[in-house]
Amino acid sequence: MGLVRLVFFGFLALSVVYLAISVYSRSVRREKLEKSWEEDKPEGADAEARATYLRDGMKKYQNGIRPRLILLVYVIPAALVIAALVFTNSN
Amino acid sequence: MRYVRNTVRVLLVVIVGGLLHYVLPQHDVVRITSTEVIRMDFSSVNRLFFAQPDSGSTNLTTRDIRLINTTRKQTFLFGFIPRDSEKVMVYRNEDTGWIWPPYFKFDSSDLQAEASANVSGPGAEQWVVLTHYGWRNRFFTVYPNAIGVRPIDGPDVRIIPWFNIFFFIFLGVAALFVRAMWRQLRERTIDPAIADAGQAWDRVDERADQAKGRVSRWLGSWRKKK
Repeated sequence: MGLVRLVFFGFLALSVVYLAISVYSRSVRREKLEKSWEEDKPEGADAEARATYLRDGMKKYQNGIRPRLILLVYVIPAALVIAALVFTNSN
Repeated sequence: MRYVRNTVRVLLVVIVGGLLHYVLPQHDVVRITSTEVIRMDFSSVNRLFFAQPDSGSTNLTTRDIRLINTTRKQTFLFGFIPRDSEKVMVYRNEDTGWIWPPYFKFDSSDLQAEASANVSGPGAEQWVVLTHYGWRNRFFTVYPNAIGVRPIDGPDVRIIPWFNIFFFIFLGVAALFVRAMWRQLRERTIDPAIADAGQAWDRVDERADQAKGRVSRWLGSWRKKK
């Protein structure tokens, strides 16, 4: 069945894209946090304070809207397929 | 080395460009002269250039193909510059189904009916914009696949390929994004790993030097004292 194949392999391919984008997005956020820590760290802060700062920042990111927006990777192609279906097959 | 690299690059551009030229939609200004159905027995050469039977049917080696016979306005440069001359063009009309190319076309019969409704002879020409993908090749019996038919008032129309415009914009944005991702990966993961490995290697090297020192000292103890 063509539809089953499309959904199966499409899901696999989009999952690869999803994972790649989420890893990238986390990495960018972590780099940003590290830089902002370097810029204005409190006086006499040790490595543990830095680790806590980074962990809190990443937790805040994880609970924010951005990781959820990456789910659009699945939504947009599905919407495009439906749009293509309608456009191609309407007279 | 540079020679090999350039050859590979040119080959890549030709293959990707050819693929895009085959798959992306193009618009022709045509006048439909007739529609017909012929039986086709595919060979291994031209099977690749046909889709599958109507999506509800089963796939056999022999089947009927709907054709649309037209007279087409000639163009230059992928249809961007119109010409006055006309030439015949034959399109096939078959479902692409769910897989490839991703047109999701299931309405071949309806399209054939539309094409038949717009058949016109000389004197009372009805021009249409026919959207299609694919190539015509006479030696291998390959036809471009018609996707849609839109009647127009006259043959002088300006066609803006919206889909292709957005497609190439998307392609460019995607390429930049992949580049940014690759750079981030290198900066944050690969380069530190290489630096780590370099340090580890230095340590190994150092120890090897020491060990070698020990071995050669031991060997030296067997040599004649000077």
